[in-house]
Amino acid sequence: MAQQTTTPTIQLKGVSKFFGNIIALKDVSFEAHKGQVTALLGDNGAGKSTLIKVLSGVHIPDEGDILIDGIPTTFKTPRDAAVSGIGTVYQDLALQPLMSVTRNFFLGREISKGVFLDMNRMNEITRTEMAKLGIDVADPTQPIGTMSGGQRQTLAIARAIYFGAKVLILDEPTSALGQKQQLEVLRTVNQVREMNEIAIIFITHNDMHARLIGDRYTFLNRGRVLADGDRDEIDMDNLRALMAGGAELAELESEFQNTST
Amino acid sequence: MSGTDERIRQVGLVQSFVARPELGSVFGLAIIVITFMIMTSISGTFSAMWTNPIGIQAWVELAAFVGILAIGASLLMIAGEFDLSIGANIALAGHSFALLLIFGVPVVPAILLTFVELAFLGFIIGVIVVRTGLPSFIVTLGFWFASRGFAVFLSQTLLNQSRLSVKPQLKAPAGGGEDPTIIDNLFAFDKGFGLPFDAEVYYFAILVIMVALLLQKSRFGNWIYAAGGDPTAARAVGVPVNRVKISLFMLSACLACLLGVLTVMTSGASDPKAGDFRELHAIAAAVIGGCALTGGYGSVIGAVLGAFIFAIASRGINFVPFIDNNMFRVMLGLLILGAAFLNQFLRNRVLKG
Repeated sequence: MAQQTTTPTIQLKGVSKFFGNIIALKDVSFEAHKGQVTALLGDNGAGKSTLIKVLSGVHIPDEGDILIDGIPTTFKTPRDAAVSGIGTVYQDLALQPLMSVTRNFFLGREISKGVFLDMNRMNEITRTEMAKLGIDVADPTQPIGTMSGGQRQTLAIARAIYFGAKVLILDEPTSALGQKQQLEVLRTVNQVREMNEIAIIFITHNDMHARLIGDRYTFLNRGRVLADGDRDEIDMDNLRALMAGGAELAELESEFQNTST
Repeated sequence: MSGTDERIRQVGLVQSFVARPELGSVFGLAIIVITFMIMTSISGTFSAMWTNPIGIQAWVELAAFVGILAIGASLLMIAGEFDLSIGANIALAGHSFALLLIFGVPVVPAILLTFVELAFLGFIIGVIVVRTGLPSFIVTLGFWFASRGFAVFLSQTLLNQSRLSVKPQLKAPAGGGEDPTIIDNLFAFDKGFGLPFDAEVYYFAILVIMVALLLQKSRFGNWIYAAGGDPTAARAVGVPVNRVKISLFMLSACLACLLGVLTVMTSGASDPKAGDFRELHAIAAAVIGGCALTGGYGSVIGAVLGAFIFAIASRGINFVPFIDNNMFRVMLGLLILGAAFLNQFLRNRVLKG
């Protein structure tokens, strides 16, 4: 695993984002390194979604800097972010269920030979890229409606990587899946980590998954960073408490204990 | 890792054949052809419908007419949209073309101007649909009234006629030469290539091949499916969904224009009732051919087969005197329902794998 001495692939410094009088993010600093999984944790309304949108160019921060490989960068559009190597895999995956695996993989970025699509080459690349993440696609001309949720997640990840993602943002990739498929996705994420080229930002509600796969942790609460650090710096037993907003849970606990005694 | 093996084994040849959207219409066409072959044999008109050139011409030309519209209708339906204005646009195109001729515009510029007008109309329809977010059913219903109304209004106001005859203008040597001119050869020929067909049949054949290739083999075709399947997802990966839809409305209007111009060229007149109800026939053909009304699924080949089913049933009934003509509508209605059921069933099979 890469050590902290390297320059982060992506870094936020003192980023704030306001929507009218709502403070969505306040003075948030955050970093992700290649070959590492940075787990971004926090309850609903903690600012995770806003942070992802800042990272992927949907929102422009009101304060602070975004650094890619140590170089300050501004994203005016999601396209700018994509060009800088930010690949975002949203929960709905942006896939077309009735279209084939290959056509989904290359949608919007098709390879043509002359006037026509080069289906053979695209099928081949799809099969190869999926195999890199441990999925053997026997027939890439099948509609993806036939694939499992986990396999679709892998398709969306493979697509982002193939089209040049240096930073892979996974927005709750396990939340809509069954238990077995969740593990499939975690296995895929691990495969990406082992490539040692891509910084993975893993957003989740699930403390077990975060514990399994995370190298670094950043906890958000009410738009601020509550805690962050490497695996060995974080009190792993306290993960769930931190996710729920730390202090509040402790207060609740003592409150309950007081009433029961 | 072999997490997918158990799934892959189920995917055989049968599965990929069932996955074709036009499967339903292949069955439908077979049933219609066999049915009418049997019925014409019983009434002794088999050769009149199936081997006599005039008999064949009757249903092939109708299939071509409806089929040209169904090409546009099916592409739009796959992209998740709908065009009710095509029938009325045939009349608008025919009247525009005839008026231009009557006011002294030579044939070639008149054809070009008519295409420009209809392409612009398609553009306007498309822009209204994507900008307002109104259902295209409603927007094009508006144009269903407006196009034909405007065509007849113009001819009534300018010439006090609703049916426009342009026989003299077309007979005059448009290119300055002898009859037939190159224009006649391009737009008004019939019985060409030793076959008993009018011009639209040849245009139909060329268009089907071009559009089927466009849909299956080009990136634009890929975008058409994506625009109808899940527009939000398509936009997220950079597909210009609005541009795709607007171009398809333009194509749809231009196909209506082609039919309007061809009809005037071959008949020498523009009828205000030209193309009446053809929009519904084209949509029926697209639905029989396996296009999903909800978008994202379908094929041009299916729509073409749907047009043949429509045409054989529609013309065939004239060769079978023992069946009431009105029964044709009943049959067609049942056919559309049956096809829709079958197609829905097949589509669900595709998703289940």
